[in-house]
This record gives sequence, C-alpha cells and structure tokens, in this order.
Amino acid sequence: MTATLSAPPAERADGPRRRVGPPGGIDRLFRLVLRFAGLAVLVVMATVGLFLATRGAAAISEAGLDFFTTQTWEPDSLDFGIAAVLVGTVLIASVALVIAFPLALGVALYISEYAPPRLRRALTSMVDLMAAVPSVVYGLFGSTFLQWQGVDVPRWLSIQFGWIPFLDVEGADPDNPLSTDAAYVTSTFWAGLVVGFMVMPFICSVMRESFTQAPQGEREGAHALGATKWGVIRSVVLPFGRSGMIGGTMLGLGRALGETIAVAMIIAPVFAIHTQILGSGGNSVSALIAQRWGAASPFGLSALMAAGLALFVLTLLVNFAASAVIARSRSGQGSD
Amino acid sequence: MITRPLSLVAVVGLVLALAAPARAAQAYTPISGSGSTWSSNALDQWKTNVAQYGMRISFSGTGSSDGRNQFKAGQVDFAVSEIPYGLTDGGVRDVPPKEGTYAYMPIVAGGTSLMYNLKIGGKRVTNLRLSGEVVTKIFTGVITSWADPAIARDNPGLKLPDRKVTPVVRADGSGTTAQFTSWMASQHPGLWDDFCRRAKRATPCGFTSNYPTIPPVVGQHYSTGVANYVRQEGTEGSITYVEYSYARAAQFPVAKLLNAKGYYVEPKASAVAVALLAAKVNPDLTQDLSQVYGNQDARSYPMSSYSYMILPTVTTGKFTEDKGRTLSDFAYYFLCEGQKQADLLGYSPLPINLVRAGMDQVAKIPGTTKQSKDLGKCNNPTFSADGTNTLAVTAEQPKDCDKQGPVQCEDATGGAKEPTKTTTGGGDAPVAEEEAAVVEEQAPGEEAAAEDAAADESSSGVARRAREEAYATPVSVDLRDDNTALLVAVAAVLIAALVVGPPLVARRLRRREGDR
Repeated sequence: MTATLSAPPAERADGPRRRVGPPGGIDRLFRLVLRFAGLAVLVVMATVGLFLATRGAAAISEAGLDFFTTQTWEPDSLDFGIAAVLVGTVLIASVALVIAFPLALGVALYISEYAPPRLRRALTSMVDLMAAVPSVVYGLFGSTFLQWQGVDVPRWLSIQFGWIPFLDVEGADPDNPLSTDAAYVTSTFWAGLVVGFMVMPFICSVMRESFTQAPQGEREGAHALGATKWGVIRSVVLPFGRSGMIGGTMLGLGRALGETIAVAMIIAPVFAIHTQILGSGGNSVSALIAQRWGAASPFGLSALMAAGLALFVLTLLVNFAASAVIARSRSGQGSD
Repeated sequence: MITRPLSLVAVVGLVLALAAPARAAQAYTPISGSGSTWSSNALDQWKTNVAQYGMRISFSGTGSSDGRNQFKAGQVDFAVSEIPYGLTDGGVRDVPPKEGTYAYMPIVAGGTSLMYNLKIGGKRVTNLRLSGEVVTKIFTGVITSWADPAIARDNPGLKLPDRKVTPVVRADGSGTTAQFTSWMASQHPGLWDDFCRRAKRATPCGFTSNYPTIPPVVGQHYSTGVANYVRQEGTEGSITYVEYSYARAAQFPVAKLLNAKGYYVEPKASAVAVALLAAKVNPDLTQDLSQVYGNQDARSYPMSSYSYMILPTVTTGKFTEDKGRTLSDFAYYFLCEGQKQADLLGYSPLPINLVRAGMDQVAKIPGTTKQSKDLGKCNNPTFSADGTNTLAVTAEQPKDCDKQGPVQCEDATGGAKEPTKTTTGGGDAPVAEEEAAVVEEQAPGEEAAAEDAAADESSSGVARRAREEAYATPVSVDLRDDNTALLVAVAAVLIAALVVGPPLVARRLRRREGDR
C-alpha cells in the first residue's frame, strides 16, 4: 500500500485531479485483459463476416443482383436468390416481436412493480427458466402440439379479418366442410409465435432490469405528487426504462431473425414471397441453411453462405439502428 | 487399458455374470455415426441392443445426404445412406471420398411406403390402393382431390370424399426422397419432369435428395416430421412417403402399390424380399433397382430398396483401430442377430448373399475382430440350406381381391388394425348381425378368406350393399356452429372497451376528484 502512495501528485492546482498512484502491474494486466476481450468481440464478428463473404463470393458473383430479387432456391440450376427467404425471415421476426413485446412488457412491469417479493423471485426464475429451454423443445412443442391444438385461432382470424391482405389465407375454404386444418398450420404465424415465446424471456429480463433502476427519489416524488401506481409507471418507470425497452427488444429481434431449428421444425418451406402469414408455407434464412446445408453441393453451400451473409448484414443493420435510437434517447429524458 | 484378449474374456464373463456392466463398457471405444432417417429405426434398436455388451454407439438420423457429407469430412466414424457417393443430383456430382478409404455394406432392406390419413364417414380408411401413376400424379400436384376418378379406379370399393390431397415431402436432404424420386424418374419421367420444370429445375430431372417444395407440396423436417404431420387429426387427406416402420410405429395405414403384375401389394418384409430378388448388386455392393420397379413377381413391392452403411477401411487421425473393433463387432451383431428383428421393426432382413458380402466388408475395417460367425445360428428368416431366400420363397401369393379389378380387399395395412368396409366385392357379406359379429372376431387372414367365400353369394351382397350405403356416402363433417358473428360483436365491443374505457374512467375519476 505504501508503494502506491510513494509518488506524490505533480500538479493539483486547477483542472481534473490526477490519480494518486501510477497504474501498477496488476492494473495494467487487467486493462490488457479487458482490452483484449473488447477486441475479441470485434475480431470474432469480423471473422464471421469475412468467412461468410469469402465462402459466399462464388454464389454472389454468379447470381449478381438477381441474388436479391430471385425467389426460387435452386442453386444447382443456377436459379437462386434470397428475396423469398429474407422476406420470410423478417415476417417471422415481426410476428415474434408482435407477440413477445407486449408479453415481455407486461411480465416485466408486473415483476418489477406489482408482484409481492416472494412471487417476484419465483416469476423471475421462471422467466429465466424459459430462456434456458433449448430451442428444439420449443420446436417440438410448436410442431407437434401447439399448432394443431390452436388451429382455431388462425382460422378465426383469417375468416373474420381476411379482408386485411396479410391475414387472408389463399386456398383455405372454410365453407367447405371437407377442408382440413392443413391450410392453417406450418405457417409463418406459428413459427413466429413459437419464436416469440423463445425471445420473450430475453426481452423481459432486460426490461425488468431497466425498470428496477428507475430512481427511487423520482418514484417517491411522483407518489408525493399524488400519482397512482399507474401514474408512477407512466411518468417515471417507463421513461427511465425506455432505452432498456428498446435494447431488450432489439436483442430479441436479433435472436428472432436468427432462430433456426424451431422454425425449421414448424414451417413448410416454400420459395416464393408468401405474405399471408396465417397460411401454410413460409421460410427463413436460418431454417433454409439448416435444412439444406447437409445435402448441399459445394456451390449450393456457397449460395447458403451468401444467404447467411445477407442475414448477418441485416442483423448488423438492425443492431446499429437500435443503438442509434438508444443513444438519442437518454434514459429518463421524458420524466423531466 | 486392458489388453484385447483380456477384455474379450472380461466381456464374456461380465455378460454371464450381469455384474458391473460399467467395466465392460470401458473395453469398447465409443463410436458415432449419422445419416439415414429411413433406416434409423432399425439402427436405434440395434444400438440399444448392443449396449448390454458395453458398446456405445451414437447415431443421429440427420438424413442420408448429411451423413455422407459428414463421413466425407471425417466428422463421424460411419454413415448410413440410401444412395452411394458419386451420383449426380440436379446436375451436381456428389464427389466420393478418396478411393479405397471407404466401403459400402448393406444393413437392412425395406419398402418406402406411402402413409396416409384418410377417413370415410369418420372411419379411417386402411385399405387404400394406388397405382404408380396415381402416386406420381399426387406428388406432382396433378391430382388434387381424393375423389379423383383415377383414385376411384384403383379403389372400386371405396367412395372417397372430395377432400384436398396434401402431399407431404421431406424438406431436408433425404435418402428416402432420393429413393422415391428415382422411382418416379424411372417409371413416370414425363410427369416428374413437368413438375421439375414448374419448380424451375433443369430437366430431365432424374432423382434428387431435395424434393422441390412448390404448392401443393408441403415440406417437413426429417422422417419423424412428415410422419407426425400426417398422423394429426387435422390433416385428413395428407399422404407422405416414409419407411414402412414409421407408419407401423404411428399405427397408420400405408397404401398398397400396384406392381408390374397387376397386384396391389403392401411393403411387408416378404414383399420387399421378393422384389429385391431382382436387384442387381454391383461389385462394390451398391444396388441397381431398375429391375425391381418392374419385377414380374406378383408378390413384389415396387419401391423396395437396401440401406447402406458406409464404413472406413483405413485409419485416420480420428478413426482408430480401437474404434474399428467396436464398429466391426456392432456390424457382426446386426448382420447376424440383428436381422432377426428387421421384420418386427418394419424392415426386411438381408438375404444370405448380402450378409456374406457384408461380412467380407466388415473384415476390411481397420482393427476388425474378424469373427467367423456360424450363419446358421443367426436365425435370419431368409436363410435356407440351399442358399435361396426363404422369406421370398415362402412369401404368400397375393389374394385375389388385391388384383387390379372390381374387387378390393378390406384388411388393414401398415400399423392400422381396423379393416375398412368396402361397397363392392371382396367384402364380408353378413346377412344377419350375428354373422357380422362372428366375422369380426376372426383373425384378419381368416376373415379375408371368409370374405372371399361370402362374396360369391350375390343375394347377400345386395343386402350388404344396401346396409353399407349408410357407411360410405356421408363424409366427415365438422360444421362449425354459426355464432361467429356474435363472437365478433363481443370481441369488437371488448376491444373498444379496452381502448376507450380506461381514459374515460380516468377522466371521470379525475373530474370527481376535482369536484371534491
């Protein structure tokens, strides 16, 4: 300890105060480790991107710009593109977020604001448990149970709201007593729903953390001004948790875009842009890779890598957009 | 590590004593493989059986294509595949690993069957018959309704509902798909190429491991995935191609397929064995099925094939002699004792020439235990003293009601138990209810015999037809009751209340507080 005190500060007049002791060996080591860890993230990301780009280069140069407009996926017939799978990926992720966001928000608010302490602990660990369930289990749950038992939901939606184009189901014939459930299962809706269940705990955890950090003083202030519990949540908790809400949602979106096996197990892959989310058929980039890489020719593998690269870039863009949004909205900004 | 003779003694001793199986487990190095879902039901059973000898085999059924690729990349110790390396799929050749580093060994035979979910009047149809052309038309989207006249021609005894046909295929790279499509490409190339063109594939299409998934075809993941889809309550009208054992396990019927001799045949072990008598076995043991599809034996099932294990014949960094010892003992087990269970599992046992050839291949594995098994003790139902295939020789001739024509058998196929009543011949002809009860109590075989005899009595046939009209005409109708409008109204009011309600209440409360 005396060693760190031995060197007296050179200047202490104006300006920021300087650190008393010079960084010792352990400090330097620690900083080095941290710097390395920080760099490692960049290195890993760059390597993944570079790997996908080099492996996918053959396919992209072969297909050119058609790669982004072609819907079919027949790389061995040199007719392939990601228009259908990329749209499918975005649709599945959108459905997932539409399901997961309100659910996560509600659960997080209940846990952080309303639940009695004992229930709070139980609920927190339950949500964490949900995140720990492997995705293949969610896939089984969705493909063998949920979509068959809950088939009335998409049927009802499509019959009543079929006039909204994306809720229509082409080929379903609800007036025909001989029509089956097959038109309403293996769809974007069910894949998105199950993915939504999978990403909900991640979004929820981040939200809950940020809600509990709303400053106690402001809460008490709001209470003192006569705010109800809902008033406190609206004027203090939600504005302070805003960056957490956005961050958590973006984390969930990133996961939803990349979810593989659950989607592959539920969806009936089609290679055409299929915007009717309730009807059978759909696809996603990661499900395509999972289903095709085992049997792919070298060129087909290159095409899959190119598709992976497109997803990688999309996810990067989403995350950058999210961090830009977070950076612009200071926590607690709206509570002034 | 104990030395080999010692460990063998230890294994024998421990199996007898049934004590400390953990120590026996140490004697075998665990091995891993992946590939075919077609034959994975057999492999899963065999690997469970040899666990008692301390062999730890891990096998993941991830599809033949994946198995071949993983084996080529050296990620697994063995692969299981329906098709060999070196074939051209969609214009791309599947490049084999280095010559001389691998060998093929047949492991089991079986029939690629057509499992379906179909009901008439709420009763499951279990005796569907299909000709090859109809099957191809179904899987290429030409036939879209079960009431299609072509299907009716195959099934004179069934009045099928006007339900949509949902052909279910494998979405992943699959050897089952390869077997099915090579049968279509060889037997009905015109229809198959038309479909490929619609899917924007280069034609002539030939066989493929990746089925083109354009509507109305529904793709599902793995054999378990397609079987699971078809067995659902909500997918009446769906049909898929999958190995016989999956239909048996799901207790679902499979379609009888028309063979070259004009008989509709179910992919039972004996029908597969008969069909494969026409298979040409190449010097590297791979199969040439072109003669099987058109086998002139009335008992043969056209879509029969062998499944193969791809074995390493040299040691590599990953595949050691210790592993070779496990693999060879495992192979000796399923080539001999394992075949006995094939029929039970929904497969067909290998004939003696392929078992012998397989054992020669096992001897090429580095570190092999080189057993000389007494084949007579294998209890393989195909073995005979004179070298012929007993299972094929003793296979029963198909019944007359299975012949193409106006009569249709009623007995159930695949894993289904309940026979289906037909509207025309082949059926039982009970005049009185007591007689019907008697017939139902009999075993299926006897029942069919009784049916055949009874079918000749035309007078009772009329009576039966009149009675059965009630079974056949109605279709399973689950009309929804018509109060959805009410539900919509309730939902709309609820949503409106949810949106408008809280602010209104809040404002009212605020005003009241303000008044105070």
